[in-house]
Amino acid sequence: MKIFYRMHKTYIGSILNSTLKESAIIAAIALIFAISFNLLRSSHIPLLGFSSANLIKQQQALIPEINIRDAYDLYLKKKVVFVDARDPLSFAEGHIAGALNIYPDEASLHAATLKTKLTSDSLVITYCDGPQCPLSKETAHTLLLRGIPMVKVLVNGWNLWLNAGYPVTKGKS
Amino acid sequence: MKLRNFPSPIAPVIAIFFRLFLSFLFFYAAFEKIADPQEFAVTIYNYQILPNFALNLLAVTLPWLEVFLAVCLFLGIYVRGASFLSSLLFLTFATALSINLVRGLDISCGCFGKSSESINWFYLVRDFTLFLMSLFVFFFNRGWRHFFSPSSASK
Repeated sequence: MKIFYRMHKTYIGSILNSTLKESAIIAAIALIFAISFNLLRSSHIPLLGFSSANLIKQQQALIPEINIRDAYDLYLKKKVVFVDARDPLSFAEGHIAGALNIYPDEASLHAATLKTKLTSDSLVITYCDGPQCPLSKETAHTLLLRGIPMVKVLVNGWNLWLNAGYPVTKGKS
Repeated sequence: MKLRNFPSPIAPVIAIFFRLFLSFLFFYAAFEKIADPQEFAVTIYNYQILPNFALNLLAVTLPWLEVFLAVCLFLGIYVRGASFLSSLLFLTFATALSINLVRGLDISCGCFGKSSESINWFYLVRDFTLFLMSLFVFFFNRGWRHFFSPSSASK
């Protein structure tokens, strides 16, 4: 019985050994080949230089924008959920009537509750204040990643909405 | 040449079918990733699991690993090692998928390059099936010789 056990152990050991050896050889060849191929091709990419900041900027640039008239039109038809991406203090001082306050850092936490408020044809519009304000795009980007299907950005939204005299409210959400 | 051990036992026959299937699958999966490694790096980034410095290296290496696995599985070279690595790969893919399905991220699977759809539970089942197929090859592959060579008949 002992001999049988020992033989069995040696057999498994040898299989394991050869498997690991073969795996290491295949992986090493693939690694060498991949790195060489990448160096030689004209469109090579840096092996350790992935920049997520650039990528996020590119992805944010692709998010569609909406103008104030269309946004108000959808508001009247009740086919829109406004998301105020500013900080809670600014939000409390005044925001688009019915808007939710979702700061970019918290967007992934709020995505699930936001989803429940959407109907099949409704749109999410994010806004903040000022033409250069990045918050609305950041919130929109995270919401899109979290599976909100239709998100648009109203650039300089708060300023435009307020000056147009459209409905606003004060207080926390 | 005389045909021996055929069709019984059935497991080595199935193992050969699985081997060839996995081989074609790996070839197909690697093709678009090799064509556009930057796009593949973005796909891996979207999974939000690995640190940034590892993304490009993996995007460059993984498709070629798939190619070499395909070659090994197709030609019957180092099949044990290849099927072992293949099962590890599918297990890793399944884990990465599960993490993001639970997180609720709406990201492209990237399984077969750009054309892939968003991740869903079907992909997880598919990965797990491919993992089991790789394990099957690992345990039951005997190669073509098993059916043709006279020496194996006496075993």
